[in-house]
Amino acid sequence: MSSKYDVLINKGLVNGADILKSSKYDTKLGLNMAADARRLSDGLISEQAFVEKYQESVGKEFKQKLALQATTDDQSGVKWGMVIDLRKCVGCETCTVSCKAENRTPPGVSYNQVFVEEEGTFPNVSRTNIARPCMHCDKPPCASVCPVRATYKADNGIVVQDSDRCIGCRYCMVACPYGARTFDFGENYDEMTGYQEATSPEHGMDRGKREDGKSPIGTVRKCNFCFHRLERGEEPACVETCIGDARFFGDLNNPDSVVSKMANSSRAFRLKEEYGTEPRVYYLR
Amino acid sequence: MSQSAILQQQHNEESETITAKRFKRWMTALVISMIAGGGAILYRAIEGLAVTNLSAFVPWGAWVAFYIFFVGLSAGAFLLSTLIFVFGMEQYERVGRFALFTALICMVVALTFILLDLGRMDRSFNAMTFWNVMSILSWEVRFYLIYMVLLATELWFAMRIDLVKLAKEKLGFKSKLANVIRLGSDDTSDLSAKKDHRWMKILGIIGIPIAIIGVHGGTGTLFAAVAAQPYWNTPLFPIIFVVSALVSGTALLIAMYVIQRKVRGKTVDLTMIKGLATLMIFFLVIDLTLEFYEFLVAGLSLKPEKMAVLDVMFTGPMSWSFWGVQLFLGAVVPIYLVFSKRTNQSVKALTVAAILVVIGIIGVRFNIVVPTQIVQSMKGLPQGFYFPNWVEWLSSIGVVAMGLFLYSLGAKFLPLETEEGDVNSHE
Repeated sequence: MSSKYDVLINKGLVNGADILKSSKYDTKLGLNMAADARRLSDGLISEQAFVEKYQESVGKEFKQKLALQATTDDQSGVKWGMVIDLRKCVGCETCTVSCKAENRTPPGVSYNQVFVEEEGTFPNVSRTNIARPCMHCDKPPCASVCPVRATYKADNGIVVQDSDRCIGCRYCMVACPYGARTFDFGENYDEMTGYQEATSPEHGMDRGKREDGKSPIGTVRKCNFCFHRLERGEEPACVETCIGDARFFGDLNNPDSVVSKMANSSRAFRLKEEYGTEPRVYYLR
Repeated sequence: MSQSAILQQQHNEESETITAKRFKRWMTALVISMIAGGGAILYRAIEGLAVTNLSAFVPWGAWVAFYIFFVGLSAGAFLLSTLIFVFGMEQYERVGRFALFTALICMVVALTFILLDLGRMDRSFNAMTFWNVMSILSWEVRFYLIYMVLLATELWFAMRIDLVKLAKEKLGFKSKLANVIRLGSDDTSDLSAKKDHRWMKILGIIGIPIAIIGVHGGTGTLFAAVAAQPYWNTPLFPIIFVVSALVSGTALLIAMYVIQRKVRGKTVDLTMIKGLATLMIFFLVIDLTLEFYEFLVAGLSLKPEKMAVLDVMFTGPMSWSFWGVQLFLGAVVPIYLVFSKRTNQSVKALTVAAILVVIGIIGVRFNIVVPTQIVQSMKGLPQGFYFPNWVEWLSSIGVVAMGLFLYSLGAKFLPLETEEGDVNSHE
């Protein structure tokens, strides 16, 4: 299957074995560990198995002890939150676009939007770009109105939408003070070749090709802080792609995290706090 | 089928044939409407909600408005029946069973409308299997079902003796149907009639809180509890829902009663109609007063979000539905017709007033659902616009036709009409 480009690239690549030969340690062990490390990151083997397999030889070769890394950063107490610095936001809508690309949202469905607010009269005008993902409220009105509990607050702080349970009554859309929910009317970007081919594992679940009558068509959709990316240890797409580095993501339960510190700064505020929804998305004014 | 029905009512044969002809024509018209509406519903079922004018900005539209309209009609009709069966206002007894039957049919229509509105109709039973204590809508689903069972039971007690009598005639379909529905009961003694009345009274008493707090007040709360929609979010809202339910329920019964009697060439009880019309206007005036204060307080407190909704309602492109339908046709004209000495002796004028009130309440329901969604929750979002498209109109016509069809079948084959002897004559 290798095309001529693959051949070209492989020619240019340095050979791992050659490099390892120049070190004083065992070349074969290095190559095997690298191969298994790749399998580990692909989720094909567990970290436990990896450690067990190489514990002895690593001890002999490097005089070191392998330890389980995953256990040290336990994520059970994590409560995700986001901080958006309005002074850094330039209003380019990269977050909106990258969100659409990441989550493969159809026309009319947008988890993230940027609103431009202009105030004052010339020459004293100010312009604020308010990027709005789902606020992942601690007291979400959408979850309390849902008649079937299809949307609820998960332990990690994310307000989850169960596309397999939602009946599509759209009560949550009416109840959300932030307009953060959209209904999937089943439209597609037909002008885009292969639009339906690529899929997104929303909520960590790949539903395969988008088809009529199949979830999430006919249900309400919303931002889930790119849960599938969080599971891989990545930040949400909007945070990662922000060109002005205006978005920050992290654990609000951890007082030492960057987001916690920012959320407690005097610049921090939240949208429509008077509704008592306790959003987990903070803005820095 | 219709032949046997004609034989059974041994009245003037000629007028009976005319009635039968009219009935046939009426039912044909309804079936045609149902087929047309069914086509639109099929189209919507296959293509999804994308074929409607609903959008991300205005997620609730005509079907939700019709749903609360019919829930209101049902609650109103039922509460009117309790005036008769619980509070002993026997002067209205002629419409008692019609009221109960109308209430039942209206619930069927309302639930059909809300079913159509679901993005995933196939999952409608999720609403029964899952339960969210915090969600009013979740409670409502259960209240609707309890309420419908209660209506059917009370109606059965109201018709029981007549069903037994009919079953004994052993003549034609109506009798056979009565034989099935009587569920083996065959006691027609005065004692059993008294028992029936007691049961109806008990069911009516249980039904009043269910209808007021559960069914219609609850439906109002469904809207009022949404903090994100400041226009809905007032404690007065559920009360307005209940009062406007009384308005529309009374109006609908007047219209239904008169039209049915006229079509069958029977006399109309003018005293009762006048009484009911006055009652209707009484409820209407309370309704208008409550709404007036709702607007006044919202306006005087200068809450920008509320002002924005009122602005859409009073001056927006759809403001004709408020000034024209809701206020002029639905309130000013009927009040004039009922109070003017020139018109309040005429059954026709009073019926027109009743029909106008019903139409006015449709305007009320649309103005509850739509304007507040036109104003978006976030400043940056574009202002929405909504007017139902042909799919929504046609399917709505179909569903209403289905309701009328079921009602007409019931009116024909069930003993809904109270026999002359049962009520003291007021003519």
